[in-house]
Amino acid sequence: MPDPILEARALTKRFPGVVALKDVNFDLLPGEIHALCGENGAGKSTLIKLLGGIYPCGSYEGELRVDEKTAAFCSIRDAESAGIAVITQEFALVDELSVAENIFLGRAPRRGFRVDWLTMHRRAAELLRDFGLDISPEAPIRTLGIGQKQLVEIVRAMDKKSRILVLDEPTAALTEQEVEVLLTHLRRLRAQGTTCIYISHKLDEVFAIADRITVLRDGASVTTLAVKDATIPLVIKHMVGREITDLFPRKSVAASVSEQAAEPILSVRSLSVAPAKGKAAFLKDITFDLRAGEVLGFGGLMGAGRTELLMHLFGAWGHRLGGKVTLRGQPYARPCPGESIRRGLVLASEDRRRYGLILEQEIGFNLSLSSLREFTRLGGRIDAPAEQVRNQQFFESLRVKAPGQHVRAGTLSGGNQQKVVLGKALMTGPTVVMLDEPTRGIDVGAKLEVYELINRLTAEGKAVILVSSELPELMGMSDRVLMLHEGAIGGEFTRAEFTQERLLAAAMGHASAA
Amino acid sequence: MKLKALLKTFSMPLALAGIWLFFIWKLDHDAIFGDGQGGFGRFVFLGPRNLTHLMVEFSIIGTLALGMFMILLTGQIDLSVGSGAGLIGGIAAVLIFEHQWGAAPALLTAFGVAMVLWTLMGTLIVTQRMPSFIITLGGLLIFKGLFWRVINNATVPVSRGDEENLYSRITTYYLPANVGLLLIGVIVLVSGILLWRTRAARAASGLTTGSVARPVAQFIGIAGVSYVIVSVCNHFHGLPITLLILSCTAVTVYFLTKHTPFGRYLYAIGGNEEAAVLSGISVNRVLVGAYVLMGAATALTGFMTTAYQGSSSTTVGDLMELDAIAACVIGGTALKGGRGTVWGVLFGTLIMTSLLNGMTLMAVEPHNKFMARGFVLALAVWLDIRLSRP
Repeated sequence: MPDPILEARALTKRFPGVVALKDVNFDLLPGEIHALCGENGAGKSTLIKLLGGIYPCGSYEGELRVDEKTAAFCSIRDAESAGIAVITQEFALVDELSVAENIFLGRAPRRGFRVDWLTMHRRAAELLRDFGLDISPEAPIRTLGIGQKQLVEIVRAMDKKSRILVLDEPTAALTEQEVEVLLTHLRRLRAQGTTCIYISHKLDEVFAIADRITVLRDGASVTTLAVKDATIPLVIKHMVGREITDLFPRKSVAASVSEQAAEPILSVRSLSVAPAKGKAAFLKDITFDLRAGEVLGFGGLMGAGRTELLMHLFGAWGHRLGGKVTLRGQPYARPCPGESIRRGLVLASEDRRRYGLILEQEIGFNLSLSSLREFTRLGGRIDAPAEQVRNQQFFESLRVKAPGQHVRAGTLSGGNQQKVVLGKALMTGPTVVMLDEPTRGIDVGAKLEVYELINRLTAEGKAVILVSSELPELMGMSDRVLMLHEGAIGGEFTRAEFTQERLLAAAMGHASAA
Repeated sequence: MKLKALLKTFSMPLALAGIWLFFIWKLDHDAIFGDGQGGFGRFVFLGPRNLTHLMVEFSIIGTLALGMFMILLTGQIDLSVGSGAGLIGGIAAVLIFEHQWGAAPALLTAFGVAMVLWTLMGTLIVTQRMPSFIITLGGLLIFKGLFWRVINNATVPVSRGDEENLYSRITTYYLPANVGLLLIGVIVLVSGILLWRTRAARAASGLTTGSVARPVAQFIGIAGVSYVIVSVCNHFHGLPITLLILSCTAVTVYFLTKHTPFGRYLYAIGGNEEAAVLSGISVNRVLVGAYVLMGAATALTGFMTTAYQGSSSTTVGDLMELDAIAACVIGGTALKGGRGTVWGVLFGTLIMTSLLNGMTLMAVEPHNKFMARGFVLALAVWLDIRLSRP
């Protein structure tokens, strides 16, 4: 076996309150394509940010070795000069500049003080030709498709004499043909001696291209397998391999309530939604029912369309191409947030700093923001005492930890901000509560309070839609789970059918694999 | 740290006091340290005549700044209000002087034109998703052109011959001393009742009411300031109408921003527009509403400033939009939206107008006046940033 070109030894990376990587070991042999697999939040992104110098040396523990020598990357530039190029989903390309300018960004050939345009375009054309790409070096990047942009990034990385190419979810937004083109290029680069780290949720692709697979789980490296000895179910098993504790105090009331309420509160029939008018459908043929007292979980991988589905039902995303939504017996064809709230459908968004709160304002201002109608008296005046009393009720019942409701929302911790977002949604008196990643980034104690709140809501006969990336949470708190896969429903499971393997397989589009 | 917080709270009154002391020192030195002859009338800056003029100038810019305040709260901007004020004032003057309209219908018609124009601009901004900076910059130029066309590049008096009408009286009529005192008495009484009722309502809801000293101090403050203003004005001709217009505007804007959902939504949109949308706020409707109110404030300002000059001419309203924005910013309104108070805007306006008024009395040359205004604006924002830093 040849000596590894890159080695990670006992890498540990901590963030305040979270250990993102725990004692990760990993080696990369020259000329191989090595896949990294793991669930959302398993630590893949953290690992490659470490390799790429985005998290500089000193911010983590453990050792990174390149060519048998300790490597201390203090910046992206250090990693680049060691021959590592990281290509992420957010391209490091400037949309308004040409292909050639992007390839030579920051290192344009010069003649004196001037940019030597002639040389630049000639060399760019040569590089593109060598790659077999039919792209004009003078075309602006914004006119290129996503697949072509990806290839331009690879061309740039190769011209920088990169020996290790790190691709993070390179095919997430590509069409099947584009994926095929990319894989062909990668195979050719491998034949020429380039080493590649390949991160993908799509196990088919991984098995089609990789030589070895390293599985990460909860920030730790679980195992490294040679592809020829592995199977998809085996990889999924390694990715999951975790026990569910009774951290999730779900008390189901669905059985008793749903008997009375045979009519679903919310019913969605073959819903198709595009990101905007004139675009192709992103959510495809989604059908489900939601009944009073039920927690319906939505799972899926990053970009499967969970957030988009919730935002669309609420009226804040997308252009409906077809399908029917019925809310409390009434058809609901043209949703908008104000109308949704009036009809009793609320959403607590996943990104609370961006979508949830007015950070500069007080807790009380945020709590009552969606319910001001309730306090408005003659002449449009807000009844301030009544408002404050109501705010205080929610402030106390949600146990927001702050000296009082006059504290600015921006100064609260994540868990307490989440409680304020939930309080704002609940004060409107909803019947359907949609929670998008309600426990992301909050500590265990606050999580438990959120779970108890979910139980309280369903006990009151409300229905809850829960989106979560954490399978244990999804399985622990839902009465029923729908897994989304690439904008469509990949599988539906009742509580008795829950296993992590099944759910994950459905999320990856391998409903039959497990 | 504590000193810093204190400085921040009182930075505006301190700045205002500094400016006033400077002008008093420069202009009223003789009146204070002289032989004592001539009494109040000898004061140049502090004299009743000048203070009344200062109040008129304050009212004109203040009304515009209060309209601008609501626009800035949402994170938008309106650059068209200066030439808009000229246009609206000009339309009313032309209707009266050249078309022999009565003053009341002329003013109402011009007001209606303002509402239409600003509704249109607001609608363009929200439906076409064009930046307000660009739309209102276009408005600035278009209104300027329209204005010059309407008045035919001439000077159009606000009334025919020497007769007085409603339009000219906006700045020439003063409330008689007794009426002024009576009005102030009613205002003080009403504010006392409101203060007391607010407290009672809080107590009835079981909320803490805090020390009784606070409302009492507020009441004494309101009564004292009102009395000083009315007696100063009564030493000249009486309370100017413009001050009443400003007061009504200020009370309306205060009520809207502080006590209605509309006001909350202004702050919410400026603080985080995406979150405001997801909170169920009809952002577009609120924004158009803010522009309509801006149109109303512009019309009122246009009438006052045209009447103050006695006629409409091509320079009326020049750079007024910048004075209004500067007054808001000096008063602590954030240009990115979500932060600011009516009190701050009034203080900012008072600082701006005191500075202009004093410099005019000192016969400072126009070029130096411009530069002084610029430096004060930069200084105020610099101070605000320094003092806001933790």
